[in-house]
Amino acid sequence: MSNSETIINTTKLTKYYGKQLGIEDVDLEVKRGEVFGYLGANGAGKTTTIRTLLDFIRPTSGLATVFDLDIRQSSVDIHRRTGYLNGELALWENMTGEDLLKYLGNLRGGLDWKYVRELAARFECDLPRRIQGLSMGNKQKLGLLQAFMHKPELLILDEPTNGLDPLMQHQFYDLLSETKKEGRTVFLSSHILPEVEKVCDRVGIIRQGKLVTVETIETLKSHSVRKLEIHFAGTVPRDKFSNVPGVRDIVVQDNLLTCTVVGSLDALVKAAAQFEVVNIVSHEPTLEEIFLTYYNEGKKYVK
Amino acid sequence: MLSNIFLKSLRDQRKSLLYWGIGLIAMAVIMAFVYPTIKNMPSINQYLSELPESVKEMFGLGIIDYGTPTGYFGTELFSFMVPLLLLVFGIGFGANAIAGDEEKGTLGFLLTNPVPRWRVVMDKFGVLIISMILLGFLFWAGLAICIMGLGIDLSLSKLAEATLGAVALALVFSALSFLVGCIKGNKGMTMGIASGLAVLTYLLNTLGGMVSGLKDYRFLSPFYHYMEPNALANGLSLAHILVLLGLVIVFFAFSIPAFIRRDISI
Repeated sequence: MSNSETIINTTKLTKYYGKQLGIEDVDLEVKRGEVFGYLGANGAGKTTTIRTLLDFIRPTSGLATVFDLDIRQSSVDIHRRTGYLNGELALWENMTGEDLLKYLGNLRGGLDWKYVRELAARFECDLPRRIQGLSMGNKQKLGLLQAFMHKPELLILDEPTNGLDPLMQHQFYDLLSETKKEGRTVFLSSHILPEVEKVCDRVGIIRQGKLVTVETIETLKSHSVRKLEIHFAGTVPRDKFSNVPGVRDIVVQDNLLTCTVVGSLDALVKAAAQFEVVNIVSHEPTLEEIFLTYYNEGKKYVK
Repeated sequence: MLSNIFLKSLRDQRKSLLYWGIGLIAMAVIMAFVYPTIKNMPSINQYLSELPESVKEMFGLGIIDYGTPTGYFGTELFSFMVPLLLLVFGIGFGANAIAGDEEKGTLGFLLTNPVPRWRVVMDKFGVLIISMILLGFLFWAGLAICIMGLGIDLSLSKLAEATLGAVALALVFSALSFLVGCIKGNKGMTMGIASGLAVLTYLLNTLGGMVSGLKDYRFLSPFYHYMEPNALANGLSLAHILVLLGLVIVFFAFSIPAFIRRDISI
């Protein structure tokens, strides 16, 4: 199978809950083997997108396919080939973890129990215990287990590291990279940015129901906001910089200028060249800063 | 018990079924053991027969005669208590099956698996039917053993028919509760609508016996089709039981498309 095969595809996917907007005109494409991060604040529409893809809720308009199958017509087939972890996990409290996995395995027509035990050991799951007595993190581990246990082609994970301790988070990241190596696809929603930065190839940012941008992590960083410090040999006048395109938040203190730059540094560098530059320090933007920029400014800074 | 949705849902009911079963059997046993004493108290019979007609209608008693087993058990158990208990169980079950599980989030979790929605509706409805029949059977068996042990003169097959009638009546409102849950996953609303309609149609039937203007509308009440044949004395009437079962089938038939069409909250 080629790497460019499309796994998830949505065209102008729109969902209104009555009059309230869920998502609007979302165009997404996720390729096989990709780890796709879906970022947004609470209520931005991440979960709405996911629930539409899995046919729990029906789109108001627009189309979507998973594995080239229509989400409405073929939801059972899509579920068979997908592992899903819900953001608000609700398990049957009166079962043991073992019984839960047995039941889900039966609904899927059987499981490779050797692999299930292996996963359970990795995540230190206490399978014989009743779910009722488990902590939130331990329930979440069961949630991960049931998503991964049938080695699905596609994983849709809504806030997967919710409640996991750092050690287990690492286990999870390892599992993700193995999954990716095997050519399987991951669609991961999160608001934990370092996580997305660490594991994702591409990121889609959703804001108030609209997909603001889809970029690779690198591109996102490259044409987004970065903090810059320029050390000059002498004092510089602020007004020489205030009109430079793409430059904001200028603070001049004696011979030190700090500012944020959106996109290309070219204009600023040329403006600075009129003076004697001692040093330029560029702070690599964290995804957090990128994310906040998209959030605060909307589409203004998207190329 | 974990191999499919039907068995898993039945398994989830085991405790509830156990307690309800014990309750129904206990009621049957107590009523049966009290009967020999009551039968020999002429004052009670006289008192009952002197009640105004309207009061008798109100309690759905018709002809009250504690002197015969049919009169006694018909009044004490089948005119009110048995259908009431089965209704409470069934309406609660119907509301929990879809709406309750949806509110808990477990229904959504179940549907993340490769199972079609119609399958979930069918299996859960199947468990509802089986549970009702099981409770009816337990009640019947408990009462039948007592009746044989105490040598009471009551036909066990008529008793079975009367129980079946009560089960059918309760299933009407359970299926209605189930249907409302499929239309809108709100458990409180579901129980409210189903039990509200049960009370209204109950009143329609009993008041219809007294108020002449309502008499022509009694057939609209499922309670009418349950009470009218007086199954404990005469056995079931096919026409009336078919009305009740027809309603159950209609409610079930609408449940599937209602649940398939709508958004599920998970």
